[in-house]
Amino acid sequence: MLFRRACVLGGVFLAQAFASHALANEEIIGDPAAGRKAAGMCRTCHGVDGYARIPIAPHIGGERAPYLIHQLKAFRDGTRTHEMMSVVAKSLTDQQIADLAAWYASQIALASLPQGVSEDAAPEACVACHGALGLSELEDAPNLAGETVMYIDTQLKAFRTGKRSHEIMSAVAADLSNEDIRNLAEWYAEIDLKIEPAK
Amino acid sequence: MKRSIVIAASLMTGVSVASAQAPVPDNLEKLSNFQPTGVTEFTYIEQKGEYADGIKKTLERISLPDGFKIGLYAIVPDARHMAVGPQGIVTFVGTRKDKVWAVTDRNKDRVADEVKDFAPSLKFAIPNGPCFSKDGFLYIAEQNRLLVYPAAEFFYESPDVAAFNVIKQGDLIPQSEESYNHTARVCKIGPDGKIYISLGQPFNVPPPEKLDLYNETGIGGMIRLNTDGTNREVYTYGIRNSVGHDFHPETGELWFTDNQVDGMGDDIPPGEINRQTAMGQHFGFPWYGGGDTRTNEYKDEEVPVEVVMPAADQVAHAADLGMSFYSGKMFPAKYKNAIFSAQHGSWNRTTPVGARVMVTFVDDEGNATTESFAEGWIDENDEYLGRPVDVAQLRDGSILVSDDLAGAIYRIWYEGN
Repeated sequence: MLFRRACVLGGVFLAQAFASHALANEEIIGDPAAGRKAAGMCRTCHGVDGYARIPIAPHIGGERAPYLIHQLKAFRDGTRTHEMMSVVAKSLTDQQIADLAAWYASQIALASLPQGVSEDAAPEACVACHGALGLSELEDAPNLAGETVMYIDTQLKAFRTGKRSHEIMSAVAADLSNEDIRNLAEWYAEIDLKIEPAK
Repeated sequence: MKRSIVIAASLMTGVSVASAQAPVPDNLEKLSNFQPTGVTEFTYIEQKGEYADGIKKTLERISLPDGFKIGLYAIVPDARHMAVGPQGIVTFVGTRKDKVWAVTDRNKDRVADEVKDFAPSLKFAIPNGPCFSKDGFLYIAEQNRLLVYPAAEFFYESPDVAAFNVIKQGDLIPQSEESYNHTARVCKIGPDGKIYISLGQPFNVPPPEKLDLYNETGIGGMIRLNTDGTNREVYTYGIRNSVGHDFHPETGELWFTDNQVDGMGDDIPPGEINRQTAMGQHFGFPWYGGGDTRTNEYKDEEVPVEVVMPAADQVAHAADLGMSFYSGKMFPAKYKNAIFSAQHGSWNRTTPVGARVMVTFVDDEGNATTESFAEGWIDENDEYLGRPVDVAQLRDGSILVSDDLAGAIYRIWYEGN
C-alpha cells in the first residue's frame, strides 16, 4: 500500500516535471519514420521492433516515449551509465532521441501471464507503476514484461547501490533483499511479451 | 551396477573437495548434503518443427572450406559457452540468463535428441561458463560464484544434482563491481590442473580510480585457483573483456580472445587473439584499447607496465568470443593444434562485421595467422541470421558452434571431397 501511494505521488510530480521541461525546451515532436531509420544503431541489441535480441538489453518496443527520452538523455549526460549505451547515446541529438522514442513508442506491447498463474500473485511493490503484467502505468516507468531475470536484478541492485537513481525506484529498491529482487524479477521474466507493429 | 559404482567413487571425491567449503543457503545447501529439494520438473526444448526448419534453411547459406559440412545439432535457447562431457554423454551449455542446458545425443547419430535444463532447483545468475575437468567434475562460473558438480554426466538425469561451492556467492568479485554486461565468464582447466576464469571489467574504458581494485581482484584479467578453491591468484593483467580462452595442446600456453574499446570509429581498435607465456603478463588495457591503439582516456599517460602485444590482430569490433584448440583426428592435418574461434559480430559498426567462425594457425614460433572458416550469418540487408559464440570439440573430432541469437548449436564435420 505504501508503495502504491508513493507511485501515485511520484507520478504527479513527474508529470509536472515533464510538462515544465517540455515548455522550457519548446516541444520537440518525434517522427516515428525518422526514428525507424535511426533504429539501425539499436537493432542488433534491441531489435528494430524493440524486442531485445540479447539478454542484457531490455525490450523497448511499446515503451512510453517519455521514459525512453528520459533514459537516452540520462545516458547522454552521464547520469545513467552503461558500457554500450553511454557510447551510443553520446552523439544523439534531441531530435534523434525524440524520433527514436516516437518509433519505439509506436509499437504495441502485449503481455500475458503463464498458464495457471493469477494476477493476484503479482509483487505488490511494483504493480502500481509497472502493472501486474509488467505494462507501464506511468509515463516515466518502463514495461517489465518478459525482461530477463538478470536485467531486472541488475537494475534493482543498481538503484539499491545508487549506481542508478530515480525519485521512486531508489526508495523502493533500498529495502529489497537479494532474494526479494530475484523473486520480483522472476515474476516479470515469466510473463510472455509480444510486440506488434503500430496499426 | 557398474554405473552406481562410478557414481559412488565420484561422490567420494566430490565430498572431499567440498568439505573445505562453507555451507550455503537455499537449495545449494540441500544439494551439498545430498538432500532432495522437492523440485521434480524439467523444462524440455522441442527439437523438431518450424523453428528447427528455419535454422536449417539459414545453414544452407553458410560457406565452409571444401569437404566440410554444417548441420543443426540442437535447439538451445540463448546458447553460450559449452562444455563437452569427458565421457561424451552430455554437453552442458551456459547462458547469459538463468539457465544451464544439458544436451544429449542418445542415439549417437550426431544430432541431439534431448535438451533440458540442468539442476532446475538451483537459481543461476548469468551461468555463462561451464567447464569440465578430465575426471568428470563440472564447474560453472556465474556472475559472482563458482560451483562444482561432481559426476555431472550422471547426476544430470535427475533434477537434484550434487553441487558444492568452490567460490561462494559474492566472493568471485566484490559485490560493488557486479554488472550484467562484460559478465559472461569463461572457465577452463589448465594443464596444471588449476581452473582459469576470465573476469571482464564492466566499463568501456575504466576510470583510473578503479585500477588498483581491479588489479588486486583480477577484474579486467584472468584468475587461476586450485579446484578446491584455494590459492587464488591473478594470472593475467590488462584485458578488457575476454570471453574465450584455451591452452595450446603441446606448449600448454594460455591463449585468449579479447574484445576491444567501442566508440573510436568503425576500423579501430583491432580485436585480439593473445598468447601468454608466463604468469603475470600484462596485455595493455586500459592504456591500449586493442592492438597498439591508445585509448583517448589514457593517451597522455606513459604506459607504466611492460605490455605483451596480440599474437594476431582481428577485424575491429567483430567481437571474438569463444575459442578452442583443435586436437581431433577428423579434420585434415593442417588443422591440428589450430584455434577455432567464434566472432559474435559487431553491435555498433556502420556495416556489421563478424558473425562467423575463424581459424587461426599457430606455427612453431607461436606466430599466428587468422582466416575465416565458416561464414554467411549476415544477410544482404545487413541483418544477423545468427551470432556464433563458442566452439567446442566432440570426441569424434567434429566441432560444435553455439549461437545465442538463433538459440542453437551447429555441428561442423569433415567428409572430404
